[in-house]
Amino acid sequence: MIELGYGKGLMEFRLDKKRVLTSLALTGLFNTIIALFLTHLGFGGGFSINFVFSQSIGLSMCSFILAGHLLVRQPSILGHAILLLVAMPAGAAAGTFIGARIAGISFSEILQGKPALFIQMLFVGILFGAVITNFFFSREKISQTEAQFQEEQIRRLNLEKKTLETHLRLLQAQIEPHFLFNTLSNILSLLDSDPVRGKAMLVDFTRYLRSSLSRTRDRITTLGQEMDLVQAYLEIHRVRMGERLRYAIKVPDSLRNVSFPPMLVQPLVENALKHGLEPKIEGGDILVQAEDNTDGYRLVVADTGAGLSEDALAGVGITNVRERLEALFHGKARLILEENQPTGLKVTMEIPHE
Amino acid sequence: MNDVKAIIADDEAPLREFLRTRLSEVWPELIISGEASNGREALDLIRRYRPQIAFLDIRMPGLTGMEVAEKIADACRIVFVTAYDAFAVEAFEKEAVDYLLKPVSNERLKKTVARLKDGLETGVPAPVETLHRLMTRLSNDEELRHLHYVRLQHGDGVRLIPVDDVIYFKAQDKYTLVITREGESLIRKPIKELAAELDQEKFWQIHRGTIVNVRSIDRMSRSLTGKGVVRLKERSETLRVSNRYMHLFRQM
Repeated sequence: MIELGYGKGLMEFRLDKKRVLTSLALTGLFNTIIALFLTHLGFGGGFSINFVFSQSIGLSMCSFILAGHLLVRQPSILGHAILLLVAMPAGAAAGTFIGARIAGISFSEILQGKPALFIQMLFVGILFGAVITNFFFSREKISQTEAQFQEEQIRRLNLEKKTLETHLRLLQAQIEPHFLFNTLSNILSLLDSDPVRGKAMLVDFTRYLRSSLSRTRDRITTLGQEMDLVQAYLEIHRVRMGERLRYAIKVPDSLRNVSFPPMLVQPLVENALKHGLEPKIEGGDILVQAEDNTDGYRLVVADTGAGLSEDALAGVGITNVRERLEALFHGKARLILEENQPTGLKVTMEIPHE
Repeated sequence: MNDVKAIIADDEAPLREFLRTRLSEVWPELIISGEASNGREALDLIRRYRPQIAFLDIRMPGLTGMEVAEKIADACRIVFVTAYDAFAVEAFEKEAVDYLLKPVSNERLKKTVARLKDGLETGVPAPVETLHRLMTRLSNDEELRHLHYVRLQHGDGVRLIPVDDVIYFKAQDKYTLVITREGESLIRKPIKELAAELDQEKFWQIHRGTIVNVRSIDRMSRSLTGKGVVRLKERSETLRVSNRYMHLFRQM
């Protein structure tokens, strides 16, 4: 964006061969026009003299400015002004000197005989120089703005892509294929042996799918909704795991209406089941707890399972939650992993009040 | 062919029952000697009853179906059962290992049973090498072997810090100082062990006593005497690079 480049007063000059050549060629063209214009006004000593002088003055000013940019690639506005203030008179003076040499007029003669002419030439040179420099400057500005616009567009597209990917990942995480098919198999088998439990599981599964699928589209939902989802999720696993899974959800009613990003707690519960309880023959307990502290909300998912081993590929879910917290709260939210006593893992999520 | 025995292992009771019912429909003469709800029980049952066939769920507590299979070697034929496991299924297909997908359908079970009966009649031994190949195929996950968390003492408890959050590790006698964004902490693990366990793409040993998170490196410059010095993004101190590790920075 424009603010980005100019708000800071910075402008980078790329000095490639192409830029140098076009600058010089355009300057040459301008010089010819200036010479024609001055001759038309009756200034100086005829077209050929005017041509020689305007070319030498213009080209040397252009060279001085280009050389200046070679030294300072990214001048600030002030730096740029200083550069122009030095380069233009210097270029004009050098150009006048060179022009005099080419035209066969001795420089000292100009200085001694017609100092007024020299000052006039210098003045006209700087005037036109300023006009032309301004032209180049706006040209540069336009091309840079275009480049920035393109960059911005690419960044925006990348961001959109990333958002979509996150969405997809979220969706996949919620209906993880193993979970999906395993639940369906359980329901199918229960329909033979224990239709009542089978039906209950189907109800929970529907509840889980409905709330998770509708919520991926809403960015912010309530903590109550997330807890309903977590409960349906845990209930499905309880049918499956039986006595091996015991759980408690402790969320005060006052917190149920607090707005809360979706799918931050469920992955932690999934992790507790997958890496905590499932590998243990005797299973264990899961506690999901929410608190309102002075500095923010605290959410705890603790299990009495196998704990997290240091080299476990563990925690793809945890890594996802960490990344989402970073994206949503820009470093203001924390995720703390601790060993639970006597066994298991305790994950604490701290989210600032909005 | 008389008295073919099998065991069923699955941690979920409804699913064991479901498979047993389906088997009784498709192969009524098959004797189910026992049912196991975890990997260890499955191993016990196989050793006790010496069945010809074992139906093993892959995800089980205690030991996974794969681990049970590895331990019993060619004691019996194995049919793996899974709800969904893209990698495993691909490996099963490649190695022509029997497997069933939950929920098990009668049609699919009939095919598996026909294959099992065939195998029992011709007396072809269970393919041990196949199983081994399967194991290596499935355990060939580099990621699994890397260190992902470090345990740090914090107050009365122990915290697990993702290695990605570590800025650098510094050797301190037999211990290692772990420097993270939130502070410093000592761990018992010597730096030598850490060097072997960390992902070398993400963590570079730049000195005998220093391992740095590549993401935390701001730049490497040379001191007046030509020694390499690493500057960090979030810390003011600099880290020395010994000459033998300078090659790491040539690729940067």
